[in-house]
Amino acid sequence: MNDKAKKALVIGGGPAGLEAAIKIGQAGYNVVLVEKEAVLGGTLRQLYSSFPRWENPEELVDYKLQELEKLPSVKVMTETLVDSAQRKNDMFLVNVKHSDGSTEKIEVDSVVLATGFELFDATLYGEYGYGTYPNVLTSLEFEEKLREWDSGEDNTEPPKTVAFFKCVGSRDPSKGYPYCSKICCMYTAKQAGLVKDFFPDAKCYVFYMDYRAAGREYEEFVRDVIENKHVRYVRGRPAKVIPENGRLLIRAEDTLMGIPIEVTADMIVLAAAIVPSKGTIKLAEIFGANTDSYGFLQYDSKNPGKAGDKVFFAGACGFAVETLGAQYQGAAVAAEVIALFNQENLEAVETPEAQYQGADAATEVNARFRQANVGGK
Amino acid sequence: MLSTEFHKTIKLDNIDDSLKREILEECDVDIEQCIECGKCSGGCSNAHIFDYTPRKIVQLIKMGDEETLLSMDCLWTCVSCHLCVDRCPAHINIPRIMDYLREKAYKRGIEPTRDKVELFNELMLDSVRKIGRVAEMTMMMKFNFKTGQYFKDADIGRQMFFKGKLSPFSPKVKHLKQVHRLFEDVPHKRGEVEK
Repeated sequence: MNDKAKKALVIGGGPAGLEAAIKIGQAGYNVVLVEKEAVLGGTLRQLYSSFPRWENPEELVDYKLQELEKLPSVKVMTETLVDSAQRKNDMFLVNVKHSDGSTEKIEVDSVVLATGFELFDATLYGEYGYGTYPNVLTSLEFEEKLREWDSGEDNTEPPKTVAFFKCVGSRDPSKGYPYCSKICCMYTAKQAGLVKDFFPDAKCYVFYMDYRAAGREYEEFVRDVIENKHVRYVRGRPAKVIPENGRLLIRAEDTLMGIPIEVTADMIVLAAAIVPSKGTIKLAEIFGANTDSYGFLQYDSKNPGKAGDKVFFAGACGFAVETLGAQYQGAAVAAEVIALFNQENLEAVETPEAQYQGADAATEVNARFRQANVGGK
Repeated sequence: MLSTEFHKTIKLDNIDDSLKREILEECDVDIEQCIECGKCSGGCSNAHIFDYTPRKIVQLIKMGDEETLLSMDCLWTCVSCHLCVDRCPAHINIPRIMDYLREKAYKRGIEPTRDKVELFNELMLDSVRKIGRVAEMTMMMKFNFKTGQYFKDADIGRQMFFKGKLSPFSPKVKHLKQVHRLFEDVPHKRGEVEK
């Protein structure tokens, strides 16, 4: 680390945090990256495949870790939690706690929160029997299942029918949250498609209210799953799951026909809502960051990555976001931090002449840029 | 048979995709491409007298409900105006499906819900068999006499005649043999299965 350079604290080592830490480090500033788990990668590491390109998320994580290793100015602390922090002049004095119980004090100039999300507690839907029937899984548990099928670790009889329920806790002001969790439509399509890849003879149903595929290559991705992988999309929110001879009977309405339907499945996957983690809410309090009524970090329309004075955020701690979006946001807040540090460095130059020279140099650069790009005007 | 009145539950487990595949193979229509938007039904020229709108017909195929599809009333009230397929964003050729289902119902001996429709189709096909084209005036008169509607089109028919839009003479086509060849595989009576 360069002792004279400013230092940023990045909390969370998922795709957003990694991106922010790498970019701030590449700009020549010091970074401390704190991760509560033993490995970096966040939720991304738990995923079997990605949308819309069916890529292995591990490759992305490994690539980012290689980039990180090239940066001596970035210090990584795994199995570490942020315990408390105080503001001291323009800086933060942060206490971190390592897994062995030891604590450490670090001084930083800016903080980036990239603490990710949690899944909605699906046991609140008694009618779906999550936590009671062993073959009712959450979407993240199902990613683990996909890995087991792939590695051959799970060699039990493959399911004949797999059903996916979307909007479990999303778009439900009564038991869950009124908002749409944004990414479930896409990862559910991905998971359903993968079931058909593993077991072409299996039947695969996706219960949906509508599929929201607003993104580059997204609509094409979902259509491919429906038209070429032959996953059956049934419009309607399932009402009840009933155990029947070791299988699971699903009752729903086909709202396109207005008739009740039943289907028997061996496995049900719940696309549980994306909710803020308790850790995020605690950290927001520690660093004086604003949160919305749900507990997601609140943004300022003029600076969408800013949650407070010198406190920035990226990724799903702000709202549900896919991997690509988390990377964009990580890079964007890195730019915020770098701009802040640069500005502070410029202001710290003491003499008016030096300030003037600095401004002059900037004018010179601008003039050259204009000459090169718009013909000297 | 599917009943929307009594909300009989449909078991998706019992549905195989044979009808879906049949429609793909016979009509070259992949109903999985349907995005369920309802543009076909919204613009259907005869939806006001349909028991199942075009979107629901596609849905019935997904559900494999052949019984409903072959006995539904709209099979005989669809005029094949092609508005649905012209506007469909997913190229679902509903008139082609309707033709196929009508053929299938006819071969199975299922009685159409509208008797006049069958007579109309028979008269039209007779005309094509005989002269290779539809003799509009003759056919219209035959149809109206056989159904007891003696003066139904008298007024408009007269007007069209004097404007030169309706001719009592319909010459035969040049190559009638080629037309006859087209009819070789077509059953002559309801319930007469293909050879």
